[in-house]
Amino acid sequence: MKILIIEDNQDLLENILTYLKRGGYRCEAAPDYDTAFNKIMSFTYDIALIDLMIPGGSGLQVLRELKSARPQTGTIIISAKNSLDDKVTGLEYGADDYLTKPFQLAELHARIKAVYRRNNLNGNDVVQVNEISIHTKKMETKVNDTVVDLTPKEYDLLLYFSSNKNHVLSKQTIAEHLWGDYVGHLDNLDFVYQHIKNLRKKLIQAGANDYIESIYSIGYKFNVNRRSP
Amino acid sequence: MKLFTKFLLIYLAVSVVVLGIGGIISYHIIKDEIDKELKFEFLDRIDRVTYLLEQGKTFAKFREIDQDENLVIVPLDTFKENNTQVSDTLIWDDRFEREEKNVKVSAFRNINDTTYFISTYGNMIESDDVREAVISILLWILGLQVLGAAGIGFVVSGPLFKPFRKTLKRIQNFQINEKQYLKAEPTNVKEFRDLNIFVEEMTKKAVSDFNNLKEFAENASHELQTPVAIAKGKLELLTETNLNEQQYSYVEKLETTLNKLSRLNDSLALLTKIENHEFSTNETVNISKIVKDGIDAFQELLSLNNLQLVTDISDSTILKIHPSLAEIMWSNLFRNAITHNIQNGEINISLNTDYLEISNTGKELTTDPSVLFERFKKGEQNSESIGLGLSIVKRIVDQNEMLISYTSEKNRHTIRISLKSVKTD
Repeated sequence: MKILIIEDNQDLLENILTYLKRGGYRCEAAPDYDTAFNKIMSFTYDIALIDLMIPGGSGLQVLRELKSARPQTGTIIISAKNSLDDKVTGLEYGADDYLTKPFQLAELHARIKAVYRRNNLNGNDVVQVNEISIHTKKMETKVNDTVVDLTPKEYDLLLYFSSNKNHVLSKQTIAEHLWGDYVGHLDNLDFVYQHIKNLRKKLIQAGANDYIESIYSIGYKFNVNRRSP
Repeated sequence: MKLFTKFLLIYLAVSVVVLGIGGIISYHIIKDEIDKELKFEFLDRIDRVTYLLEQGKTFAKFREIDQDENLVIVPLDTFKENNTQVSDTLIWDDRFEREEKNVKVSAFRNINDTTYFISTYGNMIESDDVREAVISILLWILGLQVLGAAGIGFVVSGPLFKPFRKTLKRIQNFQINEKQYLKAEPTNVKEFRDLNIFVEEMTKKAVSDFNNLKEFAENASHELQTPVAIAKGKLELLTETNLNEQQYSYVEKLETTLNKLSRLNDSLALLTKIENHEFSTNETVNISKIVKDGIDAFQELLSLNNLQLVTDISDSTILKIHPSLAEIMWSNLFRNAITHNIQNGEINISLNTDYLEISNTGKELTTDPSVLFERFKKGEQNSESIGLGLSIVKRIVDQNEMLISYTSEKNRHTIRISLKSVKTD
């Protein structure tokens, strides 16, 4: 998958590049409006990440040009502006998703995958992780051929893990992904553990390997190389 | 006291003093003038008597000339030099039954070797009459001055002070968030022109300060999110390396702290936005739906804490409020009721067209409930919350002209918001 990252902040850019390259993506960066414009006119990308405030122009302008020149490219806006108006404008301009700074890299990765699935595979994708297959359109999970009965939250959690295979995800990150702003102010994140415990149990019962690894009971890792003992 | 009333009082006080002094002076001048006239008249009379005597006319001792009884002509045995004396004397007045001050002129005249003593006295106008006249003149003047002052006052408080009153009214109606400064209006009075120019400059500065502050608050909030995003990203990359348990727990703690920082930043930006009236709206919102949706979203947290929920929510209560604000208000209230609850506690929610009330079990409050609406005030100072939730709720409530109250009774905390619901057809 080829991704263009339009972001002027070097450090933030480096974070995103490092994280995504580890996931095997081909990434290119554009630190300002002109570079971004040249790149979108010369090459085709699967996904473009667009910061709204870039030197030499506005991210919305890039978005508009990209949408008219290459409508098949998936777009995600990254903005420091947490205001509703910007979000609405961004989505009206045809952006596929909107992410507010500060965001988790794992969350960004999950969104990229979701946008890619929607745009390129018509949402009719099967995410295959060893013996586990997730049918994103039907929202159905199977281990080999056994259907696993997951709650919407557990399904979401599994999809999130599969998007960030072999990455360490902290409880905080998982909670924010699943419940968004609602958990922002909570100290006690034990309910994350509850959901992970249930998901794990259901997967094992259906015959899958125990991929979910607890990291010092602070975070979790979906380790696809792990084998049940 | 109005400026005009004050001006009139001062003017009248000064007038009374001035007229009083003026009256005394006038009285003396008039009196002196009359006495002087009388003196000349009497001297004239003595000269006539002298002339008649020289012509050989003889007089009785007390003679009446021109019906004037007060003429004494006495031939003396001894010789006296020619001499004239003017003096004041007190004469009994029958009419007033008291002694009146009269002018008296006495003279010695040598006519045909005989010395005559000629004396006459009288007064033209009694001093009482003079006094009365002066007083009545002064009263007339005072009366006219009152009328004049009232007239001037009318002009002053009317057309003359019109620019001043206009400026005053504009200052009273000045609203800083309308971003319009008060432009100086032209007037030909220097003082008012100065005032208007001053008001223009002052309001210009106020408006620009307000805008700067607003811009700063917004920019600060945006600019802060990028470094936080960088730090969070680096931490995520750090967790991918081989960390031991202690290192990992440090990273986790850092992550929570960064999240708190970012939340704090968001909340402050939100407060500023609400205070700047950026959420004014004519939209209406079905608060019943928002409350129910909020309850669904928090369902898991409720069951995790074993909280019992009792609701009495009427259908479709409509409020005139910005939808985002309504959601923020409700989620803050509800989250508050969950986080400050106890295990196996209870939450009661009732909503109707008059009020929205949420009450929960919790620890007994040690502080005054009303301070909890202030920024960074928390029931427990060491708790992880940032202490802005309720002040945001309070701002939203104030901005939408509703009323909020917090009561706590032992282990039960109740927040009630009086609603101004909109009737829709």
